[in-house]
Amino acid sequence: MTTRLAVVGIDCQFPGAVNKDAFWDLLVRGEHGLSAVPRQRWDADRFYSAGKQAGTTNTRTAGFISDPDAFDHVFFGISPREAAAMDPQQRLLLQTSWRALEDAGMAPTSVAGTSTGVYVGIMSSEWANLHMTDYAGVTAHRGSGNGYCMTANRISYHLDLKGPSLAIDTACSSSLVALHSACAALRAGDCDQALVGGVNLLLTPALSIFYHQAGLSAPDGRCKPFSAGANGIGRGEGVGVVVLRRLADALADRQPVYAVIEASAVNSDGRSNGLTAPSRWSQRQVVADAYQRAGLEPDQVRFVEGHGTGTTLGDMIEVRALGDVHGADRTQPCLLGSVKGNIGHAEGAAGIAGLIKACLAMDRRILPPTICAAGENPELRLAEHGLRLAARPSRLPKGTVFGGVSSFGLGGTNAHVVLSTPPVRREPVPPQPGGVLTISANTVTALHRNVAMLAATVTREPAERLAQLCHSTNVVKSTQRCRLAVPLSTPDALRDTVLALADDPGMVAAASRRPAGKPKIAFLFTGQGSQYAGMAAALYANCPAYQERFDEADAVLTPLLGRSIGELVAGTVSIDDTALTQPALFCVQYAMAAALADLGVVPDTVVGHSIGEYAAACAAGRLTLAEAAAMVVARGALMQGLPPGGSMVAVRCSVAAVQPLVDDEPSVSVAAVNGPASVVLSGAADAVARITAALAETGIQATPLTVSHAFHSPLMAPMLEPFGAAIGTVPQRSLTATFVSTVHGRVVGPAELDTDYWVQQVRAPVRFADALGVLAERAPTHLVEIGPRPVLLALARRAGFGSGVATLACCPGKRATGAELSELLAVLYRDGLAVNWTALYRPGQRVLRRLPPYVFSDDARFWASAATVDTGPTTAIRTAVRAPVPIEPQRPTDVGSRVLAAIAEVGDYSVDDLHTGTRLRDDLGYDSIMVMQLGDRLTDLLSDDEPLSVQELLPQIVTVGDLMSFVADRCQDGATAAHRSAKGAP
Amino acid sequence: MTSERYILATGTALPGEPIGNDVLSNRFGINETWVENFIGTRTRHFAVDLGTGQVTHTLTDLGAQAAAAAMAAAGIEPWEIDFVVLGTATPDELMPATVNRIADRLGIDQVPTYQLQSGCAGAIQALDVATRLLDDEHETGLVIGADICAKHLVVDRAAPGVAPAQLVNYVLFGDGAGAVVLTNKPTPGAMRVHRVLNRFTGLGQEPGQVIRWFGLADRHSDLPAFEEDYKAIEQRVPGLARETLLETLEQTGWHLTRPDFLLPPQLSGRMTQHIVKGLGMDGATEISCVADTGNNGNALPFLQLDLLAQRIKPGQRAVAVAIESSKWIKGGFTVEAI
Repeated sequence: MTTRLAVVGIDCQFPGAVNKDAFWDLLVRGEHGLSAVPRQRWDADRFYSAGKQAGTTNTRTAGFISDPDAFDHVFFGISPREAAAMDPQQRLLLQTSWRALEDAGMAPTSVAGTSTGVYVGIMSSEWANLHMTDYAGVTAHRGSGNGYCMTANRISYHLDLKGPSLAIDTACSSSLVALHSACAALRAGDCDQALVGGVNLLLTPALSIFYHQAGLSAPDGRCKPFSAGANGIGRGEGVGVVVLRRLADALADRQPVYAVIEASAVNSDGRSNGLTAPSRWSQRQVVADAYQRAGLEPDQVRFVEGHGTGTTLGDMIEVRALGDVHGADRTQPCLLGSVKGNIGHAEGAAGIAGLIKACLAMDRRILPPTICAAGENPELRLAEHGLRLAARPSRLPKGTVFGGVSSFGLGGTNAHVVLSTPPVRREPVPPQPGGVLTISANTVTALHRNVAMLAATVTREPAERLAQLCHSTNVVKSTQRCRLAVPLSTPDALRDTVLALADDPGMVAAASRRPAGKPKIAFLFTGQGSQYAGMAAALYANCPAYQERFDEADAVLTPLLGRSIGELVAGTVSIDDTALTQPALFCVQYAMAAALADLGVVPDTVVGHSIGEYAAACAAGRLTLAEAAAMVVARGALMQGLPPGGSMVAVRCSVAAVQPLVDDEPSVSVAAVNGPASVVLSGAADAVARITAALAETGIQATPLTVSHAFHSPLMAPMLEPFGAAIGTVPQRSLTATFVSTVHGRVVGPAELDTDYWVQQVRAPVRFADALGVLAERAPTHLVEIGPRPVLLALARRAGFGSGVATLACCPGKRATGAELSELLAVLYRDGLAVNWTALYRPGQRVLRRLPPYVFSDDARFWASAATVDTGPTTAIRTAVRAPVPIEPQRPTDVGSRVLAAIAEVGDYSVDDLHTGTRLRDDLGYDSIMVMQLGDRLTDLLSDDEPLSVQELLPQIVTVGDLMSFVADRCQDGATAAHRSAKGAP
Repeated sequence: MTSERYILATGTALPGEPIGNDVLSNRFGINETWVENFIGTRTRHFAVDLGTGQVTHTLTDLGAQAAAAAMAAAGIEPWEIDFVVLGTATPDELMPATVNRIADRLGIDQVPTYQLQSGCAGAIQALDVATRLLDDEHETGLVIGADICAKHLVVDRAAPGVAPAQLVNYVLFGDGAGAVVLTNKPTPGAMRVHRVLNRFTGLGQEPGQVIRWFGLADRHSDLPAFEEDYKAIEQRVPGLARETLLETLEQTGWHLTRPDFLLPPQLSGRMTQHIVKGLGMDGATEISCVADTGNNGNALPFLQLDLLAQRIKPGQRAVAVAIESSKWIKGGFTVEAI
C-alpha cells in the first residue's frame, strides 16, 4: 500500500463557472458553459469555414472563462509593466493558487518558506507565440513573463515555496501527470505539501485550426463524450489548482478533505499505431496499474471520470480499454462520464478539471451527470464493458467509494488516478459565545470587497457554527496588512455588523486599520475595592483560556487558603474580608493576565495598584504563581489579623493640601496618590475623622471607603516583620516587561523587587499618579486594565491618556457577558497584534470551515490576443491593450516629483499610486531589472557623469520616500561640491 | 429491516424575543390575569412584529434554523443527510412544499423529501415516517416540525369588541420549529427510539379543530380561517392521552416500569397540567415547554426532545404523547439514552 494523500484545497475557473461552487452547480445541473468566440480572442468569422480551407476551423464556438485579462497586480506587488508582460496563464495560476490555499484552511502567507511543491500542467502558451516573435518588443519582463517553467516558478516565488517547482507538458494529460508527479514527490519526501495546477487559455485560433485540419474538431464546438452525437473535440479554457497533503497530516491538522488519492499511474503508448493515435493496450495498462497500486479490484471502483473527448475513435478506444479492466464479473456497472461535455476539452487543464469534478463528487457524495447529446452511443456497447453512462446525477452509496480519473495526452502519455471518499469525521459543535471574525486585505477597498463576500457565509451559517467560522477566519483571513475584526458577542450582533459593513464601504474604512507596527501594551492591575461577589464569572464560563488559568491559580491558592477561590467567586458569598479579598483579586488578575499571554497579548509595561502589583509581578515574569500566591495569602491573613478600627477616605485635593494635616496625625498617612487632585488617606478612625472635619471647613469633601482595615497606614506596622519573615527570600528572576512601581513611582529593576520591597509595599503610599507619569513617557498605544472592573482606566484618562491611546478592560463589571475578551482581542488585532487565536476557542470550535476565497481586484486588466495582435505573416505586435489606460505622467519640476515620475515610469504606475511609505520591492514589485532601469533614469536626472551604482542604491532604499531622500541628498551633495569647487577655483 | 434508530441531536428555533402576557394585554386588551389563570401560558414567540405587522420569519427560516442547529450539534454536513421529513400545518406555500425550500437552504440535494400536512401530532407522524425510511442506503435523516401562525394574527385588530373565542388564539399559540437528526447507527450520547405510535382514530368524529385555506375564488369567504371546539378538546384529549401513553408503554415493553421522563401533550400551560394529573405518572419528570413557547404545533415534541436531551442520562427512559384534535390522532413514542 502506498501513502494515502488528500486533496484539501481547490480553486478553479472554467467556462460558465467563475469558481468552485459555480463549477459544481454547472456540473450537477448538467449544463455547459460554451459560447461563441468572444471578440476579445479572435475574429471567429475570419477563421471560419465549413470546409477544410487552409487556416480555418469549422466552428465559432468554444469554452471561454470570463475576465482572463483581470489581474490584481497590486496585491502581489507586481508592477503594471511587468503584469502586462506576463502570460495571463501565469497571472490566473497565481491568483488561483492563493485561493486554493485559503480553501485548504491555510493562510497563504503561512506556507512561506515551507517545503511546498508546485506542479503545473500546461500544453500551450499562445501568449508566447504572440509575443516572442516580436523581436523588437522583447524586454526583460516579457522574457520572465513567458515560458512554461515560469507558471510554476512564479507561484513558488511569490508565495515563497521551497519545494520542487516545475511545469509539465504531456499535451492533454499534462495536469493529471502533474498530479501524479506531485503525489510521487509527497511520497518520496521531496515536499510536504503540493500545489497542483492546470491552465489553458485560448488566445489564438491556432489549435482550433489544427483540430479541424486533423479532422478532430466538432462543428458545434462541443465535446459530446460517449454520445451518439459525438463528432469531435470542442476546445475549452480553464484554470484549476488543488492543494495536496499526506492524508495523515491533513487529518492531524483537522483540515477538511475533499477526497483521498489512493494511487496513480502514468505510462506511454510507445510505438502505437501512430504518434497521435491512442492505444487501447496502454490505456488498459495505466488503469490496471493504478488499481493494483491502490490494492483495488476493478469492481470496487464505482465510477470513472473518463478522458472522453467525444471523438468517435477516441471514445471507442477508451471504452474498450476500460472494458478490458472492468468488463469482468461485476454486479453493478461502473459509471462513466466526462467533464468535457460541460466545459469543452481544456487541454492542459483537462486533467485537473476531471480531477476537481471527481473530488467534488467525493466530497458531496453526488456524481454529476455527463451531458450526453442524442443519448449514449450504442456502438460503444458500454454494458458489455461493465460500464454505464452517468447520464443523471446520482448519490454515491454509503461507505467508502472509489473512483478513477483518466487523462490521455496527444503523443501517448496516459495518466489514471484513483480517488476515494474522505473518512467521515463527526465533530459535534459545543456551545461557545466568544470569538472574533477577522478579515484582512491589501487595501480598504479590497477589504470591503472581501467583507461583502464573507457576509453571505456569515448569514448562512447557523449560530452554532459561528465560532468555528470565526476560528477559520483567524487562521485563513487575518494576515494581510489592512485589518478588520468583529467580535462574536452574540450571533445576531455579528451578523448585523457584518451585513452593515458589507453595505457600507465608509463603515469599513472607519472600522479598519492598516497598522504600521505592533501595539505597545501596558497592563494596569486594579487594586482592592474593585472586588464583588461573582466577579468575572461570565469570563470564567465563556473563555476557556481564562478558565484554565483561573483553575491553575485556584489550585495553588486552595491549600494555602484552606478553601477554593473558585467556589467563592462563582457564588454570591461576600469576599470583603481582606484575607479572602486579596487572594481572590490576585487569582482573577493572575488568570486574566496569563490568559491574555496565552492569547498573545504580552505587556510592554505593567503597573499595579497596591495588591495589583503581585499579579503585575507575575505578568512581568518577576514572581512565579506559587511565590506570589504564598505572599498574597500571608499578606491578606496578616492584615486580617490586625485589630480592626482603621478607616480610609478619598479626598479630592492635592497631596500638598492635606500634608500639613496628616503631619499632625502620627497614626494617619497618605495611602495613595491617584491623581493631582485625588488622594486617599488612611489611619486610625478618630484621627482620620479629625482631618476630614478640618478639610470640610475648607470646603474639601472626603468620601469614606468601605474597608476592613487602614491599608498603607502606620496601623500596618505590626504586620511588617512577620510578613517579611513569611516571605523569606524572594528568588532572583529577570523581568520580561518594564515594571513601573507604585511604591517608588518609577521604573524598578528586578533586583529591587526583593523581600524589603514587598514589606515596604504594605505600608508605603501607592504613588499611582507618579507611575502614570512614568508610563506616559513610555508612550503605550493600549492600556489594558486587569481586574474585575475598570477603575484605573478612568484615572489614566484623567491623567491625560487621551484619544491616541486605546483603553480596554478585561471585564466591565457585573454586567459582563464574557465576550469582552473577544472585543479586546478584536481591537488589538486590528491595531497590529499577532493574536494567538487558538486559545480563544474550545477544542470543538477549532474546526476549519471552508470560507469563500479571497476576492481579487479586477480593476486592472492586461490583454493581448489574436484580436489585439496582428497575426498576419509579419507577426509584429501592433497593440497591447491595457485597461484602465495609464495616466499620463506629469511634467515634473522639482527633484522629488522627478524621482516619483521615474519610479512610476519604470513600473508603468500612475504617480498617484505612489506614496512616500510605498515599498519598492514589496508593494511595487521592483526587482533587480527594474532597479537597474531606475538607476539609469536617476543618473540622467542627477546629470551625474558616473552612473548611479545599483549596488549603492539597493541596500539603502526600501520605500519611495527613502529614494526621494537619497536623491535629494545626492543633489545637495552635488550642489555643495559644485559650490565648493567653484569657490576653491583659482 | 432495521429496528435500530437513534436521535443523534436536536435543534430548535424560536423567533425573536418571548412575548409576555403583559404585551398581549396592552396590544389587544386581553386580560392578563385571565390568561394566567385559565390558559397558563406565560410567553410565546411570534414570527411577526406585533408593532409593525411585518413578518420577521418564514416557516422556511425557522425550519432551516432548527435543522441547522441539530446538524451542527451532531457535527453533520449537508451531504450526509439522506432524507428530510417535515411536519407542519402551516406551510409557507402550498407549492413548493416548504420541506424543499428548507433542504435548499441547508444545501441538501438529491435526496427524498416528505412533507406531512398535520397538526399537533404531526411531529410524531414525521418521526414515524422517518424511522421507517432508515435502511442501508438511508442512514441519516432530518426530521423537522414547525408551525407559524402569523397568517392568522391580525395585529391591527382593534381590541374592543373582539370575541373571546378569537382572542384566546392570540394567547394560546406561538411560532417555532424543532428538528432532530435521526440515524440507524448507534452513537454515544444519542437517544434510542424504541417505539413510535401513530394512529388515526377519528372515524365518524367531528373535527375538534379546523384551519381553512383560501384561494383566488374563495379568498373573500365568510368562513373563519381557524376554528376550534374547545369543549370537545377539553373533554376528549385527557382520555386519548391516557390511552396513548399506556399503549406506547405496552408496545415498548415498559408497562411494568416507570420511565424517568414524561413528555405530555402541550396544549396550553393549564391544560397540560390537567392532562398530566390524569396520566398517573407520578415520579416521572415532566418535560413541558408550552407555558414558555406557546402552542407552536408541530414544533412542540421536538422542543420537548431538545429539553430532554439536555437532561437525560445514559440508561434513562422517556415517553412522549401528543394528541391531534383536528381528526383525533394519537401519537406517542419512547426513547432511551445510550
